Amino acid sequence: MWKTFNSALTTAIKAQNNLLPVNGLLYQQARTTFVLKRKHPAQLHKAGCSPKKFRNKHYIYELVKDTNIELQPDIDVILTSVVEGLGNTGDTVSVRPTIAYQKLLLPGLAVYANPENREKYKDIAETTTEVKYSTPSAAYTVKTLSRVLISVVMNKDVPWTLKPWHVKASFRKCGYAVPEYAIELPATPIVGPNMELENKEFAVTVTINKQEKVNVRCRIHHWSTDPIDRLPFIPNFWDNPSEPIIPEQKSVLDTIPPKVARNKSQ
Amino acid sequence: MASKVLRTFGKFQHATCLEKGPAALLPESYKKFYREWKLTTPTAVHYTPEDGRWKRNEVTGEVSPVQNIPIPVFFPKESDDQLWGGEGVVQGFQQRSHLSRRVPHFWIPMLKRSVVYSEVLDKYISVVVTDRALRLINAHYGFDHYILKTPACDLQSLLAVSLKRKILQDLQNGCPSYAERPDKQKDVLDQYKKYLDAYTPEEIEWYGYSLAQAVSKFKVQQEKEKEESTVPFKQIFRAQLIEKLKAASLDESNNQMKELEEGNSATSWLSKINPFSKKQET
Repeated sequence: MWKTFNSALTTAIKAQNNLLPVNGLLYQQARTTFVLKRKHPAQLHKAGCSPKKFRNKHYIYELVKDTNIELQPDIDVILTSVVEGLGNTGDTVSVRPTIAYQKLLLPGLAVYANPENREKYKDIAETTTEVKYSTPSAAYTVKTLSRVLISVVMNKDVPWTLKPWHVKASFRKCGYAVPEYAIELPATPIVGPNMELENKEFAVTVTINKQEKVNVRCRIHHWSTDPIDRLPFIPNFWDNPSEPIIPEQKSVLDTIPPKVARNKSQ
Repeated sequence: MASKVLRTFGKFQHATCLEKGPAALLPESYKKFYREWKLTTPTAVHYTPEDGRWKRNEVTGEVSPVQNIPIPVFFPKESDDQLWGGEGVVQGFQQRSHLSRRVPHFWIPMLKRSVVYSEVLDKYISVVVTDRALRLINAHYGFDHYILKTPACDLQSLLAVSLKRKILQDLQNGCPSYAERPDKQKDVLDQYKKYLDAYTPEEIEWYGYSLAQAVSKFKVQQEKEKEESTVPFKQIFRAQLIEKLKAASLDESNNQMKELEEGNSATSWLSKINPFSKKQET
């Protein structure tokens, strides 16, 4: 009797202090821990009395589940600033709980996507003054392209004028799929073959997703089908200093960071 | 006394730790917190409670009552300055095969150091936590909501309940940590002030202390009150003396004033005298 009364009191105390509904979050969250079960269930006791004294066998437990090694579901967060590789300000993204907590919520780059925050940050995307990237990975692409040096290989024997498709092919050789309409060449035409242009630099503007613009450093290299006519091989040609083909582009080229080898020990 | 008999249905009850010793003098608001913290059955963490009141044995069809007897858990003293989210240490045995002898085993929560951010205090706190604590924080959408929504029996650690008191006190004082940013201050207050409704100011003052801390706090308070109420005899006598001196000096000055008046009115007094009048009869 006393026991039932006590348990009722317990529920009352909990209900009073707990502003959550009884079937709320707290009661679903009995996880991330060892959940055990008695191998020999405890003896039944009379209603209203305290449980019977445990015997040694009642302390033998079996593991039902260890929730530390269970896969936890992703959690939703609203970004309050641009996060490279994830999204723009105001985007609701679903990420792994550890990443969300350590990389986004603690540094203040995001907030929990609860109903109040959804309402509060409803129009943050329109009011923000931060840059908006076309896709989450666009920022990475801009960074990568501004770091590379493209060798534009042109014919040494047949006359040519540099066209976007030449640059497109050079990009493809380096592993970048760039469409022709995204490449903007300098206004001054580059005509060859001209050995004065050999190993000299120019900059092309690449437009990513018709939005982000990035200047990419390129170098002209002459190449012949006849092995005798070919220029001697220069190892690590990107380490050698070079001059701009078009003097007006010098300022642009100076702003692009020089190519840095990833594995080079400084 | 009669009410206690009614409450316990006439059954003899041993005095609890709140009814005897120095704790018996503590205010009711602390006792309320202590009951919520230590004398309430916490949420089932290390076992799965069965639903319903009765269950039927599948094989025999026998009906028996459902009695969820909790698995004994203990909380080492280290857990008092960490956040375990209701987890504890389970001491017991494993029987690895039915032929072998049972082996003692401790099921200990996995601990790691992490950071929690309290929006009300505007502070990052480096603490040792369990995965369950972090998950509960995420499930409640923030550390403050978790601490404020969860009853003390489920918070368990002294650190958590004392943080709860600090947060509640800050909310009471209108978030002084955001004094320079009034907009943010108003935002935070609007978000969290609903939690203040569950407590009176005295309950907040006495929330989140261990029994020993509460007793020493109470002692300090009592001594302070006593000091304030008792006045040393030295001060009383000094005051009396000053009163007396003041009265004496007043009398003296009054006398002097009279004399002066008398001196001034000597001519009028002389003029009033008629030496030829008859002697006044009394």
